[in-house]
Amino acid sequence: MFTANTTLMLVATFLPLLGALVLLLVPKDQRRVFEIGSLLVMIVSFLMSVVFWFGYDRASDAVQWAQAWNWIPAIGVKFSVGMDGISLLLWLLTTFIGPIAIACSFSSITERHKEYYIWMLVLQTAMLGVFITQDMFLFYLFWEVMLVPMYFLIAIWGGPQKLYAAIKLFLYTLAGGVLMLVAILAIYFLQHKTTGVYDFSLASFQAMAPVIAQQTKTYQVLLALAFFIGFAIKVPMFPFHTWLPDAHVQAPTAGSVILAAILLKMGTYGFVRFLLPILPTATKELLPWFIGLSLIGIIYGALVAMIQKDMKKLVAYSSVSHLGICMLGLFALNPYGIKGGLFQMINHGISTSGLFLAVGIVYERRHTRMIADFGGLSKSMPVYATIFMIMTMSSLGLPLLNGFIGEGVVLMGAFQAFPWAAVVATLGIILGAAYLLWMYQRVMFGPITAVNEKMDDLNLREVLYFAPLVVTAFWIGMYPKPIMDVMDAPVKKLVEQITPGYHAAQSLAAQQAVAAKLGMQGMTAPAHHEETAPAGHEAATAGHEAPVHEAAAPETHGHGGGH
Amino acid sequence: MTTTMSAEMTLTHAATAASQAGSYLWLIPFLPFFGFLINGLSGRKLRNTAIVDTLALGSVGLAFLLTIWHFIQLAGLPAEGRSIHQSLWTWFSIGGAHVLGGLTTAKFEWAYKFDVLSGCMALLVSGAGFLIHLFSTGYMAEERNDGRYYRFMAYLNLFVFSMLNLVLGANILMMFLGWEGVGLCSYLLIGFYFDKEFAAVAGKKAFVTNRIGDFGFMIGFFLIFQVFGTLDYDTLMGSVRGIATMPAITLYGHTASPTWWFNLIGCCLFVGAMGKSAQIPLYVWLPDAMAGPTPVSALIHAATMVTSGLYMITRLNFIYVNAPVALAVVLAFGSLTAFVAATMGLAQYDIKKVLAYSTVSQLGFMFMGMGAGAFSAGMFHVFTHAFFKASLFLGSGAVIAACHHEQDMRNMGGLRKLMPITSLSMIAATFAIAGIFPFSGFFSKDEILWKVFEGWYQHGHYTGPTLNLVAWILGMLGAFCTAFYMTRLIAMTFYGNYRGAGDDPWGLSVQSEAHHGHDDHGHGDHAHVAHAPEVPGHPENHAHELGKAHDHHVDDPEDHDFVPGHHPHEVSWRMWLPVAILAGLAVVGGFLNYPESLHRILPIVPAELFSKWIEPILYQAAPVHHGEHVPPAIEYGLMAWATFIWAPGAMILAWWIYKVDPSWGRAKAFVARFPNLYRWVNAKYYVDEFYEAALIEPIKRFSAQLWSFDTWVVDGMVNGAARMTVLWAELSHWVDEYLVDGTVDLVEYMVQETSQVFRSVQSGRVQHYAFVMFLGFLVIAFWKFLV
Repeated sequence: MFTANTTLMLVATFLPLLGALVLLLVPKDQRRVFEIGSLLVMIVSFLMSVVFWFGYDRASDAVQWAQAWNWIPAIGVKFSVGMDGISLLLWLLTTFIGPIAIACSFSSITERHKEYYIWMLVLQTAMLGVFITQDMFLFYLFWEVMLVPMYFLIAIWGGPQKLYAAIKLFLYTLAGGVLMLVAILAIYFLQHKTTGVYDFSLASFQAMAPVIAQQTKTYQVLLALAFFIGFAIKVPMFPFHTWLPDAHVQAPTAGSVILAAILLKMGTYGFVRFLLPILPTATKELLPWFIGLSLIGIIYGALVAMIQKDMKKLVAYSSVSHLGICMLGLFALNPYGIKGGLFQMINHGISTSGLFLAVGIVYERRHTRMIADFGGLSKSMPVYATIFMIMTMSSLGLPLLNGFIGEGVVLMGAFQAFPWAAVVATLGIILGAAYLLWMYQRVMFGPITAVNEKMDDLNLREVLYFAPLVVTAFWIGMYPKPIMDVMDAPVKKLVEQITPGYHAAQSLAAQQAVAAKLGMQGMTAPAHHEETAPAGHEAATAGHEAPVHEAAAPETHGHGGGH
Repeated sequence: MTTTMSAEMTLTHAATAASQAGSYLWLIPFLPFFGFLINGLSGRKLRNTAIVDTLALGSVGLAFLLTIWHFIQLAGLPAEGRSIHQSLWTWFSIGGAHVLGGLTTAKFEWAYKFDVLSGCMALLVSGAGFLIHLFSTGYMAEERNDGRYYRFMAYLNLFVFSMLNLVLGANILMMFLGWEGVGLCSYLLIGFYFDKEFAAVAGKKAFVTNRIGDFGFMIGFFLIFQVFGTLDYDTLMGSVRGIATMPAITLYGHTASPTWWFNLIGCCLFVGAMGKSAQIPLYVWLPDAMAGPTPVSALIHAATMVTSGLYMITRLNFIYVNAPVALAVVLAFGSLTAFVAATMGLAQYDIKKVLAYSTVSQLGFMFMGMGAGAFSAGMFHVFTHAFFKASLFLGSGAVIAACHHEQDMRNMGGLRKLMPITSLSMIAATFAIAGIFPFSGFFSKDEILWKVFEGWYQHGHYTGPTLNLVAWILGMLGAFCTAFYMTRLIAMTFYGNYRGAGDDPWGLSVQSEAHHGHDDHGHGDHAHVAHAPEVPGHPENHAHELGKAHDHHVDDPEDHDFVPGHHPHEVSWRMWLPVAILAGLAVVGGFLNYPESLHRILPIVPAELFSKWIEPILYQAAPVHHGEHVPPAIEYGLMAWATFIWAPGAMILAWWIYKVDPSWGRAKAFVARFPNLYRWVNAKYYVDEFYEAALIEPIKRFSAQLWSFDTWVVDGMVNGAARMTVLWAELSHWVDEYLVDGTVDLVEYMVQETSQVFRSVQSGRVQHYAFVMFLGFLVIAFWKFLV
């Protein structure tokens, strides 16, 4: 049973829903049962999902464990599932965050436990479903279903303005979803017009790319905009971000964690999965706008975060900034940018969840999130201070922790394509250090007040749910290669879909190997031209003579160097 | 894990890495890391701080021994192959990078490279690190009982780990890892007394300022990656000559000469160096960093971390040699910093602040050396500076500890008799920093100034000659100021009467700043001046304070420094020993780079050991040819001038002002004569205030404006849309209610009303119908008739 196959994938995905159905039968005063039960379900689902990490064939760029069942044959809808490296990583992130989100709710949820945990489980299945589906109809279904539990989580267990926030979240993202649906249907009917079949499968949609490229420019741009706005609202990109601070601030801690770690990734995932491969031409057409919005998001989010007085709002705006970096990476449209962007999704899921959890800890103890109410917590809560510090550092991209890998690779990718954009984004990273450390200083350092002196440090449960985040943060920071390997083939495929023939250019590797051999000896000047230089020198010189003639070649590959 | 010489290296070090055993290179950085892990994770539980000591000192000490062992191995290798390489694992590798030469797969390895340059740096870091760890065990004695001690030692270990990563890393990304790591440790250690607001603020300032520098550094190495397609030192060094001799480089559709690109790279990287190595305009964090405990200042902010910018430039010298404009920029900023920071040191009273500005200024000297293309001279100054400045800082730490955390030199004095070892060491180090022959500073600083001068004389191709001349003059003035303020420091601290105990006939001492937040020690008793006198009455509330080593501190701190009989005494061996060792090195260290010119007339030690040692990694633009040289008479003349007249002159002047006249009347007269000059120098030219007003405040204001924009416009649009929808809904409701529904109702009404009429018509009586039919007939007939 525990080999990576479609069945197990479906079991892991739908287990939370199943758990929810079982919990439905439990009397509602059994608080412990709901807590432990849902935690167990999440953990089992996570353990099952880990199998896929090992079972994934990293060499192949195909959708693995793919299977499809006819669902509504009349309109070509199939229950089609499967994962490639990109979806696998986000799927794993979801199962990984699940138990943490449950575990952090034990003490913060004080009423209506039954509904809470059931909604959490339903939400989990909906989110997992988004990442395994290979059918546009099914995707849209999961995408919208996900909103319902989130709506209730915020509207029932949220803060003072919970209804406003919940409705805003729901309607705003629904509006985006509907735009996306329009785009999906447009492609669906275009497909019928050209091929004569009705098919909602993702593969057939991606195969439409060349057909779409032949349509009128307006048509393409409109399609791309519909997708873009739909996803940009979810990400959220500037200026579609205002639902985010409200939702985050009002949501219970677990809601914020899931919102930040997974829900926002739906948007970025949508870009990777749909906009880029289906509409590469139109994307390139609109690229300056997309890049511009990403950059504005980076700087704007950071600056607005800087002056927030509410910790949670600060972290929420930092999300806007971080996801701007993520989007910049994706829109660099080269392997570095896209890989970095994907990494940034995972890293943001880890660091920002960590920060939200950290804010949740003090909120539970003091029932305030205002920075001004705190100070000197390092003294009374040393363990908490350490973990908070690690998460802060991870979020601001300190090497050795996860954040750096994502940001660094995104910036390298962006720098290959749009150096000025990378320069601006790097400025945003300075601001990142400023607002995070400023918050940390005001909350953790300085003189301590009497109230804060009495605050308890983390208990075992809290340490336990932070531990996986901390460990993963270090793991990704020190040895991200396994994750890179998983996304390697799909990203390569994606880049080929966006820019056919991208990888065809000649490799530098051989010349570099020669240079590496030469190493330090390259420093000594060759004595005279007529004298015979050591063999290595000639090799190196010759090796670099070659690219001189090809120097213009990279520009012709359309990776956007001139933009 | 293997040891290979660079000559045999390929890009796939990792493939052979696991096959051979024998290299313990990775242990050099990782030993301190293990020390950090163990202490950091379990230190809180360890009641016995001796275990913490053993772990912290043991790990760094072992790392030092291992470094020596590797260094000996390295010395045994032929000069052109002096590099030991070890790859641990592939950090990450990503294909499909479009760089200058085409498409490449960049592989970033977690690899260490122990070569002539990094070997020296590793010796310095682990050696000085060990001594400073030892010093800390004495200096931080008061923290042993309050549970903060382990944290301090753990941070120090983490710092050594990061710094060793910085210098030993085999590619720029590893350097960057260490680079940011030391920044973090600096942040943590400056803010060690985090319950002090100013310490926490200083820590943040250091980190953020460094980040601004990192911005340049990152752009710099992105550009390197674009041009070279790799960040691995060996590959870079192997391919640089090919690239530097290309006719033109086209990137991003911009075609320019390699020199143009190298200039750009060099300038960007220098911004990074400015941040880390505290150069104008990014030096502002370093003086504030003195809020950290003094060993931290010695280790991080004098001996090691601040030199990483220098290390980076030397490591990437092949960029700079090919980038004349970048070198000129380095020279200009370096000389400016050397001079300006030295003048700032003239009017400081805080002993650590003097040393801090001195450090900034000395770093400027090092950059001058680099800017003049004399990388080995600049690098040598890194080492001699590490010796004398670490000694001075640790010495000042000993003084501060002995004077009960008094940092104001006006409240010191006369310590020479009370603390003989410390004072002797510091005086020796002062001679070194002033550049008096044969102390080490003479050899390093003079070499730098000489190279700058030589560049001017030769009409060298690196820079315009005027810049070299100006830089040389600034450097000379800086050297004068250095000798002056250091002698002033010595005179104020070690000579005269001990003013801290009230023996102050000229009223020189001031209200101790130690009680107003400038104390580097975060004692509760200092922080809570207000309720300190109550302490004896409430011992249970302040039990943690009473448990401290300095119990007498809890008496009224307003006057405790003035109580007669509280004379400082020599500190424990844990503190004076490192000071003395470092001072000893500062005295003799200069002979490691004995100048060729002196060797000609006085061959006591081999000439230019250090320069020759690191020569293999220095890029030679062209074969060395012995062409035009400055006449030796000028060289000897300048040397003699600097060491026999210029520096001693400054020292004697300071001595004359601050020692010969114990009332400092001459200094006071000078201040009275030029009050504005003094005010500006004392206020450090208001640079901090300028930044605050011109940079930080506007950014904050802008953020606030953006925030209201976000609330009112962006969110306003969303809410507006919602409100519009609601309005529309209400309108629709009205329309529905009154128009749509109204129409329906109207129709219904009309139907009803009409039907009312017709209902009465439909009576069921035949005569009625017949009558109506007849009427209808008549009407039609009439109509027909009319038409």
